[in-house]
Amino acid sequence: MLSSLLIQQWKEKTRAPYWQKSIAINIFLIIIALYLIGNMLFISFFIDSILLDIFPATEVVKSFSGILIFYFLTDLFMRFFMQPLPTLSVQPYLTLPIHKNNLFHYILIKSIPNFFNLIALVFILPFYFKVVCTTKPAAFCVAWLITVFSLVLINNYLNFILKKYMLKRPSFIIIFILLIAGLFYLSGAEILPVNDYFAALLWYVANHFYWVIIPIALLIAIYALAFRMIRENRYIQNQQQEKKRNLGNFSVLSNYGETGNLLKTELKLLFRNKRPKSTLYVSLMFLLYGFIFYTNEKYINNYPWLIFIAVIVTSGFVITYGQFFFSWEGSFFDLYLVQKISIYNYLKSKYLFVSFFGILSFIITLPYAFFNIEIAYINIAIMLYNIGVNTIILLFFCTYNTKAIDLSRSPFMNYQGTSASQFLVGIPIFLLPLLLYLPFSLFGHREYGILFIGLTGFVAIILHKYLLQYVEKQFLSRKYKLAVDFRKK
Amino acid sequence: MIEFHQVKKIYGTQTALSVENLQIKQGECVGLIGNNGAGKTTLLSLILDLIPATEGLVKSKDKIVSKTEDWKTYTGSFLNEGFLIPYLTPIEFLEFIAGLHHKNIADVKQFIADNAGFYVDNMYEKKYLRELSAGNKNKVGILATMLINPEIIILDEPFANLDPSSQSWLKLKIKELHANGITFIISSHDLRHVTEISSRVLLIENGLIIKDTHTNPDTLQELENYFQPQFS
Repeated sequence: MLSSLLIQQWKEKTRAPYWQKSIAINIFLIIIALYLIGNMLFISFFIDSILLDIFPATEVVKSFSGILIFYFLTDLFMRFFMQPLPTLSVQPYLTLPIHKNNLFHYILIKSIPNFFNLIALVFILPFYFKVVCTTKPAAFCVAWLITVFSLVLINNYLNFILKKYMLKRPSFIIIFILLIAGLFYLSGAEILPVNDYFAALLWYVANHFYWVIIPIALLIAIYALAFRMIRENRYIQNQQQEKKRNLGNFSVLSNYGETGNLLKTELKLLFRNKRPKSTLYVSLMFLLYGFIFYTNEKYINNYPWLIFIAVIVTSGFVITYGQFFFSWEGSFFDLYLVQKISIYNYLKSKYLFVSFFGILSFIITLPYAFFNIEIAYINIAIMLYNIGVNTIILLFFCTYNTKAIDLSRSPFMNYQGTSASQFLVGIPIFLLPLLLYLPFSLFGHREYGILFIGLTGFVAIILHKYLLQYVEKQFLSRKYKLAVDFRKK
Repeated sequence: MIEFHQVKKIYGTQTALSVENLQIKQGECVGLIGNNGAGKTTLLSLILDLIPATEGLVKSKDKIVSKTEDWKTYTGSFLNEGFLIPYLTPIEFLEFIAGLHHKNIADVKQFIADNAGFYVDNMYEKKYLRELSAGNKNKVGILATMLINPEIIILDEPFANLDPSSQSWLKLKIKELHANGITFIISSHDLRHVTEISSRVLLIENGLIIKDTHTNPDTLQELENYFQPQFS
């Protein structure tokens, strides 16, 4: 029974459309994963000497036990945003003659082999074998390991419970983040040495073998909670959620003809669907990048860096949203092909849509000029360039991005719709402004370089009609290909 | 109104549709019949320029559909869910379509009132199209084709998923619009519906039109005989 479920699980994974379609992306992701694992291995092997440097007076095993609390907090935080709830895939089995409790156990157990648990293994085991096993008595070693891995699994299931709970009350997410940040702060500022308390606890359990019953009992309790949650939520999809909706209608735009009508629909796309909405939130975080870089002496007078940062803070939304210009509408692309919509106006509405957000990002990030007034000039230049040139580049390259996007899914760890062209498009967007700037800076006139970037953008904005007509031709030559691929779900 | 000239649609080595010559005149109500994979949707998609023909030309009002966009002003079409915007409410969707044809909200409200028999109860609910049942989605899509004062309406299996009273309503509506001179091309698996509403029936099999006949009282029996399973 369980084996056929597991085989089907394997098929689900290997036959998933994204896995079969984009090998390049998968290779890229695997390389990133291997890199992370390699780093963790390295840290784990050498952390004893690092710890000895930081806490010379403490026994290494004890200081490692202490810092584990930070590892677990970070782990929980990352899981919260990246590890999906594994509930949906059992729908077809619910009506088959399989004991339902078995299905729920299966869901919970199959969540164990995942990336975060692998990272935990890689981070803990090398240290364990190298230091704990060689310096501590056997009973201590066994108890320590059982406790630590119970905690890893507790995180695994705690994440599901938190997620389910917080999806209902989004304000709790902020409290959750503040709580974790607060713990980090309190111990960092040595007000509340959380790590010492945690180490002491772990120490006590490891030294009194029978106390391992506590972490194990805790794990079982959390598992039981998660089990109950999944069982209670099995009908949730069938329930009609009667939510009070405040439907913004953006009716002002109705007065602006076809383009206004399209813009209105695009705004609704942005605010009424999970994935585009999350993209908006993520790009809000791009706005904050300035605080990391502008506060650093190294970057504040370095023009190439300032240009680069300006692209990130003023173009974050334009790039993250614009890379999927047509893919967002993949599920109803046919409608746009048969309706009375001029392709030019269709493209222009997208151009205006992201331009508006480009200008908005610029205005929001304008206060960064307090760090250095030159930031304002650079950001104006980049904003003009972004609207004039980048949007056109994105529109052009999007005609090659033929993967539709499921609007209702979360963007975290979701590479649906991502294709190699996205990585390629990053090159002109980030490098072209630097290339425009470079010749002037070589002759010592960096302000002319900035001026040139801005001028290029300005001219491109003036010429937008011709550029859009060029994109229109490209779009027409690609529309059947886009439509065919968008129809494949 | 619609003409096919030596049209072929080939996928790889397989010919999905091959139509030597087909003329659909203004005011006709054409029913397309055929088993799954016969080429009905391919034929409709070619008229709507959703897929390019491998060979030949499709014309609408004497203009090649892939070269001009004039047909979009007088053609209403609904083939599948891909013709609906999932995150709009039914009203917003109809408003969007109406806006493209220079109509306003008042026109939409009048239209809904005129067609109250089809779908009015849920029309003003604040539900997104993606949350509606398959039948109700179809209703919105079908209404959208009629909203734009079309000269020709193209529907792919419009009776599927509809409840009985909506099916009767739709049949009457199609007859009424047909009487007013609107051209229809409708595919369906329901032989009874098709023979009841259409003035002409095209039977498609393996990408070929193997029967093209004006509907007469015997047509239903002939079609039923044709699709009779052959047990040996």
